[in-house]
Amino acid sequence: MVGKRVKRIDGEAKVRGQAKFGDDLQLPGMLHAACRFADITCGRITRLGTANAEAMPGVVSIATYKHVTGNQLIGAIRKDQYPLVNDRIYYEGDVIAVVAATTKEQAQAAAEAIDVEYEPTEGIFDIEEAVKPSARLVHPEFESNVVVHYPLRKGDVEAGFSASDHVMERTYRTGYHEHAYIEPESVTAEPDVTSGGVKVYGSIQNPFSTRGVVAGYLGLPMNRVNVHASVLGGSFGGKDDTVNAMCCRVALLAKLTGLPVKLTYKREESFRESYKRHPYILRYKVGYNNDGKLNAMNIDILADSGAYSSQTFFVNWRSVVQATGPYEIPNVHTDIRGIYTNNVYTGAYRGFGSPQIVFAQETLMDEIAAALGMDPVALRRLNGYKQGSKTASGQCLDNHEVSLLSVLDRAIEKSDYYAKRKQYADMENHRYRYGIGLAVSHRGCSLGAEGSDASTAIVSMQADGSVYVISGQNENGQGLKTSFCMIAAQELGIRLEDIVFLDPQTGTVSDGGPTVASRGTLMGGKAVQVAAAEVKSRLFPFVKDHFGVEGVDDLIWYDGLIHARGDSAKEPLKIADIARKAAFTGAHLSAYGWYRMPDAEWHHHTGQGKAYNTYVYGCQVAEVRIEKSTGKLEVVKITAVHDAGKIINRTGAEGQIYGGVAQGMGYGMMEDYNVQRGVLKSQNLDEYLIPTAMDVPPIDAEFIENPDDFGPFGAKSLGEPTLELTAAAVNNAYAHASGKPSESIPINLEKVLIGKPLHKPHRSSESGVAIKKLRLGEMTVVRPGSIEEALRLNPEGESRYLAGGTDLLVQLRNTGAPAQLIDLSRIEELHTIQEMDGGYRIGGGVTFSELLAHKEMMRRCPVLREAISRIGARQIRNRATIAGNLVNAAPCADSAPPLILYNAVIRIASRSGTREIPASDFILHAYKTALRPGEIFASIDLPAGDPSESWGYYQLGRRNAMNITRMSVSVAAKMSPDGVIENCRIVQGSLLSKPGRLTEVEQAMLGQKAANGLSPAARETLDAILDREIGGRWSSEYKIPAFVGILDDAVRELDQKGAKE
Amino acid sequence: MKTINIIVNGFSHTLDVPDNRRLLDLLREDLGLTGTKEGCGIGECGACTVIMDGQAINSCLVLAVQADGSSIMTVEGLDQDGEMSRLQKAFLEHGAVQCGFCTPGMLMSAKALLDSNPHPTEAQIREAISGNLCRCTGYKQIVDAVSAAADSAEK
Repeated sequence: MVGKRVKRIDGEAKVRGQAKFGDDLQLPGMLHAACRFADITCGRITRLGTANAEAMPGVVSIATYKHVTGNQLIGAIRKDQYPLVNDRIYYEGDVIAVVAATTKEQAQAAAEAIDVEYEPTEGIFDIEEAVKPSARLVHPEFESNVVVHYPLRKGDVEAGFSASDHVMERTYRTGYHEHAYIEPESVTAEPDVTSGGVKVYGSIQNPFSTRGVVAGYLGLPMNRVNVHASVLGGSFGGKDDTVNAMCCRVALLAKLTGLPVKLTYKREESFRESYKRHPYILRYKVGYNNDGKLNAMNIDILADSGAYSSQTFFVNWRSVVQATGPYEIPNVHTDIRGIYTNNVYTGAYRGFGSPQIVFAQETLMDEIAAALGMDPVALRRLNGYKQGSKTASGQCLDNHEVSLLSVLDRAIEKSDYYAKRKQYADMENHRYRYGIGLAVSHRGCSLGAEGSDASTAIVSMQADGSVYVISGQNENGQGLKTSFCMIAAQELGIRLEDIVFLDPQTGTVSDGGPTVASRGTLMGGKAVQVAAAEVKSRLFPFVKDHFGVEGVDDLIWYDGLIHARGDSAKEPLKIADIARKAAFTGAHLSAYGWYRMPDAEWHHHTGQGKAYNTYVYGCQVAEVRIEKSTGKLEVVKITAVHDAGKIINRTGAEGQIYGGVAQGMGYGMMEDYNVQRGVLKSQNLDEYLIPTAMDVPPIDAEFIENPDDFGPFGAKSLGEPTLELTAAAVNNAYAHASGKPSESIPINLEKVLIGKPLHKPHRSSESGVAIKKLRLGEMTVVRPGSIEEALRLNPEGESRYLAGGTDLLVQLRNTGAPAQLIDLSRIEELHTIQEMDGGYRIGGGVTFSELLAHKEMMRRCPVLREAISRIGARQIRNRATIAGNLVNAAPCADSAPPLILYNAVIRIASRSGTREIPASDFILHAYKTALRPGEIFASIDLPAGDPSESWGYYQLGRRNAMNITRMSVSVAAKMSPDGVIENCRIVQGSLLSKPGRLTEVEQAMLGQKAANGLSPAARETLDAILDREIGGRWSSEYKIPAFVGILDDAVRELDQKGAKE
Repeated sequence: MKTINIIVNGFSHTLDVPDNRRLLDLLREDLGLTGTKEGCGIGECGACTVIMDGQAINSCLVLAVQADGSSIMTVEGLDQDGEMSRLQKAFLEHGAVQCGFCTPGMLMSAKALLDSNPHPTEAQIREAISGNLCRCTGYKQIVDAVSAAADSAEK
């Protein structure tokens, strides 16, 4: 059983759509809640009036801090966070009041109507400012903005530096990282008349923590708060403090109203309130010898804790333990400080203080190797932990298999590292550079010296031999229930099908500790094993005489049967029969499993001690490709080798690697949570990009299994190490490709091309927070059957035409404004594609999928095909129409440039007839077209492309699907047989204020050989245009060189497409 | 308020819906089909994907009144005579499900793909599910599952 591939036991409900997540819960009479968030990032509330809002339709109750009956403050370690603030605003995600109303929409409307006046204060957003002794205090009740400071002192670093042949200093920076679980938070509370307390349900990662927090907030004993976690739609450490605050609010409302109350966040609200991974500034100074031996390391780290301390105490502690990486260094001097600011607060996120330090320290190792001209692998072999090594905290690694070099060797072999290292260095061409790099890590398992570490389970055998398993640790989606049942099945020797996992409430089982720190299988699983073993020992007296043996270990329990060990003539016994026999005699076949890790130790002032009982080791190898013109970095392949001890469920364990790598890759390259002076700019998944299925490369995963003494059957930890290595491995591959590593992540387009991140500057006039309504307002929709009828319905243009809705409904959701819509989808003539002389007439309502399905047209207009096949994804292309894309007139509209390239003509219907306008004249400027009020985009006449023309198209996005196009270029050219451009058209998209031809550049390219790319004259002309049109924009520093690059590429590659295709 | 006729998983419904009601809310709240999820509300994550008249669409970006006269299939309609479909079984077999929140939308995108292209390449599978974000699996086991479901259809 253990070690096999097993289907998850809760999977069928999930693939049938029957699993109940937080928002799927419906209780009779349930009210809906909405939060009123702060409108400023820092300051004081001078007036708070709820009377108007209370009088609004459907409103039942509005809670503010004044209603709190218990302790107003919550916090995992230090209580410094108000689920409902008093008069101070600490960050933009603070909640001032929470409304309960009959419908969600009523609750939202009332929350907006609450009258709040502020006295804004200049916040502190920069950790290097906040750490200064003179800085204003974010929380005046504490004496410093330093949440916590961990020192670590080993040996004498100054002496170590003096004795070194070389000293290198580097500063690294990491950004925010948002969990982006696909399920936004949803919690529900209802009054529990039986206990006089409350029941709480929802997307809760750690039900026992939530219980304690809610009990404290309401001033109730713990046993009057019963928490029942729903199926959890992803957490990764993220559904803890924020969800606890939400639970406090709904529990308070349930008490105030006497009714069940649900609070479900929209994605924007989730991003706004929820904590992120800590941004770090990491300063490393390292002394090393000519042979690569590390002598001394000085590490100084600042971590942005944001408005609250949350898990900063523990996140920063893990960093101080692991900050040197898995290297034996005689002299180490480390300081890490977590700092309060008025930014979004930061807390637990898969990795928990390790991805930042692994990124920095593994980048540093490759920099040392490069400086010495040494093989980075050899440098790691020389310094890496081996059996009996001493860590920076003085812990001797001798109680488990120190497998660092095994995972390293295996990953090198599996990835063919050395051959590729050479091959990639030689593969550079005009367009791309390639590289391969690796990173290794060690990671302490479970909580270590954070605190006492125990877990719990119940294994209960019924009279027919079937079994319940209950755990005091929560399933977060990773497959814990399945692993727990496998462990019980293995220990009891019964089949998995004979076990049912029961979802407990906090009243059912005792606190097994949180599902954090990759401790689920290790701790929770061991508790299950202990309980199962106890059940076995209670069955033993009933089989002892039959087999004539002395102890349980003399028997083999397997597949529902009990056999004697070794040769025995004794008939095996059925476990079910023995269970029946035992039950009838009154035997107790239900057992509590309690497992407590031996205590770890930590001396705060020296940073010395046995930090964790045991460690895991991993190595990841990344292979990357950089597009030189745009700086687009893509991962080609990841090889991941992890020692996680004994693997329980191989299918689930591999899933942990694939998912962890994808998140780590996003962290390293793509995910850029944009906070500008405390204002969250990344509000939804269109602004915070995570990898799609087209961005994650092949991942080759392998386990090395070195069981050790602590976990069930020797299992250790896996969830977090899979994430912590990827960004570092990618950076080392990037350095191999480009010659220099990035000193910060994410390594995005701008970082690669111009060496720095680039964000739209924050204007001081934008001190307020832009509030979107996040719901559709009042609406009337009419559905005419003909263009004439539609025009009649809209004489003055007061209505808006609705086509696919993929843009319009998003805009209306943002504003919540009332709207009169005329849905054009029933108008037959808008949906046709007619063949005409030399081209096609395309109805405005034709979707991109319908266009792409027209193979002949797509063959004849290949630039249009290339452009529209990359719009959104299937779901969008199945609804979005060509008219909608143009009428919306976004500068990034992908269909516009090819239509301009092919000289398409747009036909516009009005009550006075039809007029025609060239596609190039349709978009006037950003978000403004030539349409007059009431007019309808009827169709577009698209001339077929000239088959003798060569063509080129390039579209740049930050990822490979679901993009907002950063820029595009469309080219068509007539070429002589020897590759000279005789005639050409070039159209830019998403670059200037509207898409259009670059006729001066076209002129300058005439008579030039395409294979040489942009001619010097053309380049000069283009530079002048770009400088004139967009030279002053914040984004031009990147956009200008990138556009020149992609146009150059497109021209060079003209030969390869079109006429010769 | 409008009266609409809609077929959902083979059952006809006549419903009065406010003009601003989304198809997603109609499914989840009016019909109690909570298998379809909301992850972003703006068509970025694909958790609300259903099949409308044969095509995968984001039900957060379609008004219920626009679905008048349409046939909708949700995750609850995937099974065949109470048995899980090949695709659902393949998801379980290959570990394509972790937290399961993206799973219903992912299944519907995969189903729409296989209905129109029974033998997709890996690239085509990745493209077809590229509008469905998953944060748990790194997509590999999902791609494997769709591929296996396509292969088993041959046998």
